[in-house]
Amino acid sequence: MIETAAATGAGNAEAYLLVLAIILPVGGVLLSFLLGSRQAERIVLCLLPLGMGIAGVILADVWRSGKALTYVLGGWTPPLGIMLRADGLSAAMLVTTAIIIAAAAFFARAKFSTPRDTNDERAPLAFWTLLLAVWAALNAVVLGYDLFNLYVALELLTFGAVPLVSLDGRAETLTAALRYLLFALVGSMFYLLGAALLYGTYGTLDIGLLASRVRPEPAVYAAGVLMTAGLLAKTALFPLYLWLPPAHAGAPAAASAVLSALVVKGSFFLVVRIWFDALPGIFNAASAQVLGALGAGAIIFGSLLALQQPRLKMVVAYSTVAQIGYLFLMFPLIIGTASGMPWTGDAWTGGWMQLFSHAFAKAAMFLAAGLIAEALGHDRIADLGGIGRALPMTTIAFALAGLSLMGIPPTGGFVAKWMLLTASAMEGQWWWALVILTGGLLAGAYMFRILVPAMAEPRAALQASVLRHREMVPLALAVVALLLGLVPLQPMELLQIGRPASLQGAAP
Amino acid sequence: MTSGGVLIAAALLGLLALLVACLSAPMRARMTELLPLAPIPALLAAILSKCDASLALPPALLGATFVIDKPGAMLLGTAALLWIAAGIYAATFMRADTDRGAFAVWWLLALVGNLGVFMVADLASFYLFFAVGGLSAYGLIAHDGTSTSRRAGIMYIAFALLGEALLLMALVLLSATAPERTILIRDAVAVLSQSPSRDIILALVIAGLGLKIALVPLHVWMPLAYTAAPIPAAAVLSGAAVKAGVIGFLRFLPFDAASPEWGSVLAGFGIISAFYGVAVGITQSNPKTVLAYSSISQMGLIAAVLGMGLASGDGTTASAVSFYAAHHVLVKGGLFLAVGIGLSSGSRPTWAVLVPATVLALSLAGLPFTGGWLAKLAVKPTLGAGWIGTFAALAAAGSTLLMLHFLRCVTALPRTAQPVPAPAGLLLPWLAVALASVVVPWALYPTAVQDGYANALSLAGLWDGVWPVLLGGALAWLLRARRVLMRELPVGDIVVAYEAGARAMMTRGAILSNADQVLRGWRVASAGLLAVVAVLAATLVY
Repeated sequence: MIETAAATGAGNAEAYLLVLAIILPVGGVLLSFLLGSRQAERIVLCLLPLGMGIAGVILADVWRSGKALTYVLGGWTPPLGIMLRADGLSAAMLVTTAIIIAAAAFFARAKFSTPRDTNDERAPLAFWTLLLAVWAALNAVVLGYDLFNLYVALELLTFGAVPLVSLDGRAETLTAALRYLLFALVGSMFYLLGAALLYGTYGTLDIGLLASRVRPEPAVYAAGVLMTAGLLAKTALFPLYLWLPPAHAGAPAAASAVLSALVVKGSFFLVVRIWFDALPGIFNAASAQVLGALGAGAIIFGSLLALQQPRLKMVVAYSTVAQIGYLFLMFPLIIGTASGMPWTGDAWTGGWMQLFSHAFAKAAMFLAAGLIAEALGHDRIADLGGIGRALPMTTIAFALAGLSLMGIPPTGGFVAKWMLLTASAMEGQWWWALVILTGGLLAGAYMFRILVPAMAEPRAALQASVLRHREMVPLALAVVALLLGLVPLQPMELLQIGRPASLQGAAP
Repeated sequence: MTSGGVLIAAALLGLLALLVACLSAPMRARMTELLPLAPIPALLAAILSKCDASLALPPALLGATFVIDKPGAMLLGTAALLWIAAGIYAATFMRADTDRGAFAVWWLLALVGNLGVFMVADLASFYLFFAVGGLSAYGLIAHDGTSTSRRAGIMYIAFALLGEALLLMALVLLSATAPERTILIRDAVAVLSQSPSRDIILALVIAGLGLKIALVPLHVWMPLAYTAAPIPAAAVLSGAAVKAGVIGFLRFLPFDAASPEWGSVLAGFGIISAFYGVAVGITQSNPKTVLAYSSISQMGLIAAVLGMGLASGDGTTASAVSFYAAHHVLVKGGLFLAVGIGLSSGSRPTWAVLVPATVLALSLAGLPFTGGWLAKLAVKPTLGAGWIGTFAALAAAGSTLLMLHFLRCVTALPRTAQPVPAPAGLLLPWLAVALASVVVPWALYPTAVQDGYANALSLAGLWDGVWPVLLGGALAWLLRARRVLMRELPVGDIVVAYEAGARAMMTRGAILSNADQVLRGWRVASAGLLAVVAVLAATLVY
């Protein structure tokens, strides 16, 4: 089946786009180093529409054909060669990534433009190249179909993301970046160990081939557990979130948006790839319940802590800790369930809707929080009074994004919540429903804790003015999160394209 | 698309257009003058639709389905009428308010939610309109920005979110456990009686919607909210917005099959609320607060009727309750607007003000020939002759007592040195609502009950209306003659306990922060990583 897919892919012009989606930003990084920070910004701005177009065409192709798009590098089919593959999920991720990277880039221009008197400046060069690196890495993560390639992509993602945290060079952000780096490296080690075990056992790291070869045996168990744990550390799933709040809250706003909306989702994406695609049928209902329980812990604990934070960006960061938890409720609601077709169920669509809507909402929130902090010169919640009067558009963006996090209709967050709740009801796993509803209430609490003083009179006095077009960026992202609420409340076909037939691997 | 469907679409699109217009600041500043226009298409839809006007939107627009049936039309029509009158009232009332643009936006959002909820026919969209209406009421309640109204807003939103969460779970269960995952409320509720999740769904519906209509002990937000909201907002919230809970009960309770246990639970809480509202209300001195407690009492009575209908599986409950609630829309709205008239003139009320106000107040108590009398007669068969029926009649006596107290509070409003007559922009819409509260029930009565006016205009019917009013009047006289002094309870009464509880929980926050510090230490996090490995491995090996 893999061979036929590869054969059709090789003759398809669109298949080359998969390579381009990765090569273009990588090329941009190299070129930027050559030409300096002023050109780096221009390179990014040129690549944004290109990258968006590529992602859009890939999505359109996958949607239209109803089949995954594959490209075999150099014409060698696995296990000799390496394959790139875009299923419905990857295509949707590509588009989401492109939009959010573009938004972050537009937002960041005010802060990371190179001054007129010089052509090269350290911070701007670092920012633009790292942005491209993160973009390339994310595309490689969602398109990769080989566990070693994915390891490389994951490392690139980490090394792109970590310096983004400490761009301003303050001691506290350096500490945060170091924490992030160390913990992420431990995660990488775990992942690599697992990959090595699999290679030693089956002689391949191609996901398609692994899926047909894996047997329930100790080496596979060890590999699966190690890789999962490593990826959870990188995703900052409770209780492994030690690095996330200082890193995401300390980074410049544009970087925080990318980190919270996309980077943690990259490693989550790989957890799904490993559990459902590379090692199907290995993990059982009990393991899935463990992931769900960690997710539930994240939701409750993260939300309660968000409620306690004195600073706006810390609230948003802890809210990310909580929102990541919802993603992991997908596992217990898919594995070990009665229905034989997991992808057509509500949990699958609900989980991914959570990922997409959170990506847009959280990016909007971090950008809005960044503008508020810039305008006020601080982001202490106690002194946010009247900011809604001074920056209405930004506050509305923040509030709309908050509605999505709370799961109020009509937002993408509501669609996700409804579908995850439906899945819990249909599977009789009511405890997840309880967690989801409680999480929504706590999200309401931490949102209103910010919005109530924000909407109050008198108007806040601003230390610095804010450019109108920068205010548009978070608003646009929040509107996307809102528009996702128009997605029908039923399993989505796009997300089923290119999925394996069932969770029981080792097809004859 | 039917002509009714066109009107439904017009109602929603018109509101949407006004909301979009609010994006422009100059338009927003003038929007309060356009507020009365917004509900007109909905009023037409309610009047002209000969039952079951419907509209189904394509999936890209949420696939929302709208149907105007008889109960929906009664509530939609009276609510639209109140929103129009209160809109005219608001144009004058809010004229000097610097923040009237924001007020108009919240008003329109609350209006969309409120009118939508009476028309919507599918599960997810019901929640959409319920939530939109529920959340945007916050902006109306907290409008004036004082610390009192902010506290009221926070309390309101906390309860609203909790109620919405409970309702959401009920809706999800309804859609998930029904065959073929139907989305129409009607179809889902038709099979509810046989559903394995029947009990949990009913419990969630009763708790979630009970919160919305402020059943004791979940009522604390209501006195705070109605006391804090500006007069026209308090009128639409207490008259129209709270009926989202009533229509919810009518939509989701399965009246086709008797459910004695759940019916008794609902009726029990209802009767308790009916008396509790009166008991606390008569200790209050602010007329707005008195009206809020009267709403708790009236909504309690509605819950009692709903409960009795559910207990016996009485199919006529929906039309009786919607008639009762429709009367309450107008009369409670009118009473709140009356408070504003009393406040604005700053003089002792003239007869031209006092007479309509008294008619409104006694209509709520069910004095013969008022709309309230008809409303009481309409629900009497459902309440039955048992002890719930007796208690309900006694509650009407309580209402009389409370309304007489209300009239005293209005006449005791502070006087200004130079009294001015209330402006026509306030007086006329108020008088229109007062008139409607009598005329509309008389016009709708034959469609709501089977045997029409004949039953009402009998001696027994008259006596049913007279004795509670006499009893209530006698009680009021007795309390006054004996100079019974009542200690004024804090607005929201047991809200004090809720707030103490919340504060106690907040002080526990330090424990969480400490746990956070521990979990984010390197050693613990590394141990956590190893623990995750161990636990996952254990699930695979065993």
